[in-house]
Amino acid sequence: MALSREIYQALEAIVGKRNISDNIGVLETYRSIPAQGSAHYGPSEHWTPLPQAVILPATTDEVKNVTRICNKYGIEFKASTTFWSTMGYIGGDYAIQIDLRRMKSVEIDVKNMTAIVEPFAIGATVQAEAMKVGLNLNIPGVGCSASTLANFSSWIAFGPNSISMGQGSENILGMEWVLPSGEVMRTGSLGSGDGWFCGEGPGPSQRGLLRGIFGNAGSTGVCTKMAVRLHPWPGPTSLPTRGSAPAYKMDDLGDNFKCYTLCYPSWEAWARSIQYFYECDVVYSGHRQFNMFGRDLKAYMLKIITNPDGQLADLETLSQDPYLQKQNENMKFEYQIIIAGYTKRDMEYKEKAVEYVLEQTGGWKNEMMLEKDMHDYALLYLTRMGHKNLNFVMCGAYEGTFGLSGNVWKAIQVAEEAAARKKYWEQNHTHIAATGGESAMGSLSGIGGGGATGWEFFVNFDAYDKESIRGTYEFINGNQELHNKYGFGPDFCRWNSDVRHMNGYNYTQEEHDAMFVNAPQPWVYAYQYKIREALNPNNLCGTYLRTVDPSKLEK
Amino acid sequence: MALQDFRPMMERCSSCAGCKFIPFEKIKSLRFGENCPSIGYYNFMTYSARGRFQLSQSLLDGRAELDDTVTEAIHSCTSCGYCDIGCKITRYNLEVLEHNIEQKAYAVENGKTLEGQKPVMDNLAKENSMIPGTKKANRTDWAKDLNLKDLFKEKGEVAFFAGCKYSYDPKLQKVAQAAVKLLQGAGVDLGYLGAADNCCTGRAHQMGFYKEFEKGAAGNMKAFQTAGVKTIVTPCSDCYHAFKRQYAKLGSDVKVLHVVEYVDQLIQEGKIKFTKAVPMTVTYHDPCHLGRLGEEYIPWEGKEKKIYNQIHTWEPKRPRYNGIYGIYDAPRNILNAIPGVKLVEMERIREYSWCCGAGGGCNESNPEFSAWTASERVTEANATGADAMVTACPWCKDNFVNAVDEDGNKIEVLDIIELVQQAM
Repeated sequence: MALSREIYQALEAIVGKRNISDNIGVLETYRSIPAQGSAHYGPSEHWTPLPQAVILPATTDEVKNVTRICNKYGIEFKASTTFWSTMGYIGGDYAIQIDLRRMKSVEIDVKNMTAIVEPFAIGATVQAEAMKVGLNLNIPGVGCSASTLANFSSWIAFGPNSISMGQGSENILGMEWVLPSGEVMRTGSLGSGDGWFCGEGPGPSQRGLLRGIFGNAGSTGVCTKMAVRLHPWPGPTSLPTRGSAPAYKMDDLGDNFKCYTLCYPSWEAWARSIQYFYECDVVYSGHRQFNMFGRDLKAYMLKIITNPDGQLADLETLSQDPYLQKQNENMKFEYQIIIAGYTKRDMEYKEKAVEYVLEQTGGWKNEMMLEKDMHDYALLYLTRMGHKNLNFVMCGAYEGTFGLSGNVWKAIQVAEEAAARKKYWEQNHTHIAATGGESAMGSLSGIGGGGATGWEFFVNFDAYDKESIRGTYEFINGNQELHNKYGFGPDFCRWNSDVRHMNGYNYTQEEHDAMFVNAPQPWVYAYQYKIREALNPNNLCGTYLRTVDPSKLEK
Repeated sequence: MALQDFRPMMERCSSCAGCKFIPFEKIKSLRFGENCPSIGYYNFMTYSARGRFQLSQSLLDGRAELDDTVTEAIHSCTSCGYCDIGCKITRYNLEVLEHNIEQKAYAVENGKTLEGQKPVMDNLAKENSMIPGTKKANRTDWAKDLNLKDLFKEKGEVAFFAGCKYSYDPKLQKVAQAAVKLLQGAGVDLGYLGAADNCCTGRAHQMGFYKEFEKGAAGNMKAFQTAGVKTIVTPCSDCYHAFKRQYAKLGSDVKVLHVVEYVDQLIQEGKIKFTKAVPMTVTYHDPCHLGRLGEEYIPWEGKEKKIYNQIHTWEPKRPRYNGIYGIYDAPRNILNAIPGVKLVEMERIREYSWCCGAGGGCNESNPEFSAWTASERVTEANATGADAMVTACPWCKDNFVNAVDEDGNKIEVLDIIELVQQAM
């Protein structure tokens, strides 16, 4: 069913002619291609459905009025910001896409250490504004090109800084949220008219209702403004950089910052060291980052990406270099940390603590990563998370498999078996890049030790090569068996398989009922159904909120 | 390459948003963190490099058509090339700018152009100039009293090529004249092409009018050869890019210098000396076609090769234009050499500089968009506290002169030669 002129004109009256379009060419650019981004249900060659219109509101009021019209006429809608992820796109035919790029303000409240952000404020700009006043934020592992608000409100938002600052859900304060019914909900202290400083109360957790632990990917309406907690930044008011594109490096941040690649003799020592760091609270940022290039290629790739003239074609030559081969071996079980000192004494203590952990676990600092350029590159990378699209550098596409978020001791159980399985595919199939089997990357997780969160094996494939896409899909499907064997639940790259069909369309309620009625805890889905009924009675925002009609359980 | 040849790139784009922001590591503020004038003004994804890739797929697959909205979106790109640089921060196999221009050429081939482009292209066809209303007969009037050799009549190897803007705009003519006098004063044996001086047609290429560009380039290359030109010196950044990159692709081996490179060299050799102080704080605007698009063309022929199963590369290694070898230091060296001048930088500089808005013919075809783009830059320039913004391109200067910042304030805009002249 096409959008009637009456409805289109009503929407146009809200945002003005300039900010709405139903031109087919324009709409075609608002379809996600799951092979080209991490959709967590693919990879797939399909495009998500064509929206009936795309609309760009500039204020919460405009969003509210748009959603009211959608509610009145039963039009599905989905709001998105940077459009990196398939999660932000519509999943039905009678739907409009809301593009929030006109809402991008950042307001720093130094006294309360908060940033009040609108949807299109990306991590890099929020951080840049925060650093001006000596503050910083948790930039999720997806990178600083992604929206802070979208990450925190609608997805998990863990990243290198989570070990000292917490994950997304832990950093949300007051929120302003346009419900699918067109009402505006203000959470925490904001709802009481007391400002943005507190995310909860009185009453039940609205934050929990609206986003849960992992976020509902926009299925509970449109978050239009949010206060996020900021944290101390003991560095300069802007990031000093040197070098040429694309190999920028941090330029003399000061003696109170160090970035180390810490290496261990075994997974057991690796996990133990992380446990120590959870306890001693000395790490500012912690991430297993560069292993995304694979166990066999990471040292070569690091040489390429730190050289402005480096190219992927250099890989074969660099792989013959005995020094780099040694580095790969040396960095088999590694991760990167940043330590940041607030005083000279604090820095000395943190350096000592790192040495102590290494001593206790038989670990060491990788020598190549201590070279000035390499150190400064890694420090800049992890501080800003600006090069995250290197995920895609090898082939143009990737997915994360063997994905886990949990205890580090559980994560390492599967590591070598998963590595062997991936290596087998690399050697016996040509669909995925041969990077050395083990390619796990992820965050050292949240305050107090939330586990190796976001742990995923990067699988690189070519989105232009249909065989590569299909082969990767087949490989990933098989990996689920390994997950089942260890009781890990759905693989990271399959998390969204139960919220979108492979062709990008939403599931119907009947399909969800059938899917979850026999789930281990079906009442959780029934409870979520009731939440949706309360917040989104016409079910207009896609099916990322997994639900079961309670009547199916009662039967 | 035809548009369909870009399909692998279209399908390998990862929608990362790198084409819309300055390199993320370089962001110092929310206000000046973005860098695509087109999506900055129009806001729809369609206007970004990512959107353009996706639009091309839909056009080729027959899902979208070249209607008026799509045609306007395609041509509303200044061809400034930042998206290309932003993409190459993390990707090694996408040629974003080449695609954008090819998409324009696809529209042009199908007869889909903008109304504002017509007078420009008509004037090029009739009068060999891309400035509507200008006449071929007056093209070299600016050079009358300069004692420039006509290289078709007198022997000489260095040709001064003013380009359309400096040739016809009365205010800019004075700058071209000053540049010639400056070089002559430093002992450079300078000539020009006389009656054979025509438009470089580089802007036609930026607009997707390939046939017109190729015709103009062929004529100029023949003229260079006949006149024995070994080196071209131009004060125009668009001409510089056309000769250095686009003509080189067509086989031209003439050495190309922008005036700022020559002047910088002459200052270093002690052949240009400043005698007066110019007490002024200035900021420098890097013209796109002198900066990130000013890198030398490196001939390459090869084929795609996959290594490690699926890692995509080329054999032999393909040149990679990161924008870092453009002309950035020469103008800054000049400014720093002028007594009294203090240079303060804007946030978006060098390879990630913001466009003036005149590129891709947008000053003629999309004047409101072009003016907004210029206004953004004037706002950034005024934020530095500078007394003036200096640039090295007549198209940039012209667009800035007419612009105001977001608060309605103007800034003095100087061609770098004007500043040099003040110090002589």
